[in-house]
Amino acid sequence: MSIKFDKIRVIETGYNSAAWNMALDEVLMGIVNDTPILRLYGWRPPAVSIGYFQSLEEEVDLESCKKIGINVVRRVTGGGAVLHDAELTYSFITRRYPQSIIESYKWICDAIIMGIKGLGFDASFAPLNDIVVDGRKVSGNAQTRKNGVLLQHGTLLLNVDIEKMFSVLKVPSEKLKDKMVQSAKERVTDLRRSFEEVAEAVKQGFGKKFSAELIAYDISPDEKIAVGNLAKEKYSKPEWTGQR
Amino acid sequence: MKKVKNVYKSKKLIRVFLEYNERSRTIHAIKITGDFFIYPEESIEKLEGSLVGSKLERDIIRQRIDVALKNSEVFGFDNESITEAILGCVNDR
Repeated sequence: MSIKFDKIRVIETGYNSAAWNMALDEVLMGIVNDTPILRLYGWRPPAVSIGYFQSLEEEVDLESCKKIGINVVRRVTGGGAVLHDAELTYSFITRRYPQSIIESYKWICDAIIMGIKGLGFDASFAPLNDIVVDGRKVSGNAQTRKNGVLLQHGTLLLNVDIEKMFSVLKVPSEKLKDKMVQSAKERVTDLRRSFEEVAEAVKQGFGKKFSAELIAYDISPDEKIAVGNLAKEKYSKPEWTGQR
Repeated sequence: MKKVKNVYKSKKLIRVFLEYNERSRTIHAIKITGDFFIYPEESIEKLEGSLVGSKLERDIIRQRIDVALKNSEVFGFDNESITEAILGCVNDR
């Protein structure tokens, strides 16, 4: 794919609540211009995000989440439920992208792969939307397209805690839980590097993939207010999170 | 009205929540959930809406799914498996 960018705007927003994180992604989709935006962030408190099409009640153990202080939010993107704890999350927002969905996932994941290869990992793309290291999943990704803008966000696991993951996500049967935990441990891996180290590597990967200059960027005070309002009025509301 | 649900394993997991009239065997309400991807996302509401009022008959359901998803891209299931997932709610495969 030959789409290149002269510049990529990079916004590093640190750790924020689930509702605020999802609200910022939506606001960035509304304000992105011809220069794409790469956003790097984390989640505090930790959170479960569910895919746009998932049933909240069927997928998430809300009582456990409440007990251990985990936020719950619905994404605008499809895919599965994710526990966001010790991880780096990225969002890439662009007006120019391959029209093929499969191709566009690979196009963006390639940048992530280039980045973590720089840390010495043997990473590769696993269609439709995963990145694997030595055959085990280290990153899940999901995208949406609205009004000519593509948003892809994804996780990079730094230290995965499978038991904690299964304590907040519902499983089809308690009998199968141990088996599922074991199977997830075999299929999933993590990078065991710091947030900062992986963030730097991802930035380098995007710069290299798109031959782009990386420009530090922040949203305006008015945009910050818009994010706060959207977090409050949409992503924190049970009408949104519990809609399916 | 009878409320039933079915979990169906396609490439992704599909859960169907169905409310139907037992006598006329027509769909009163339906919700299709899961970890799949549909582009554009709003197609799911279009699909669910198009199934309301449908008889629980394979050919009719399949035809409505084909029409509703004609301009959508789906990853995680195909039209055949979503038909099976719906009919599985009433054990009518």
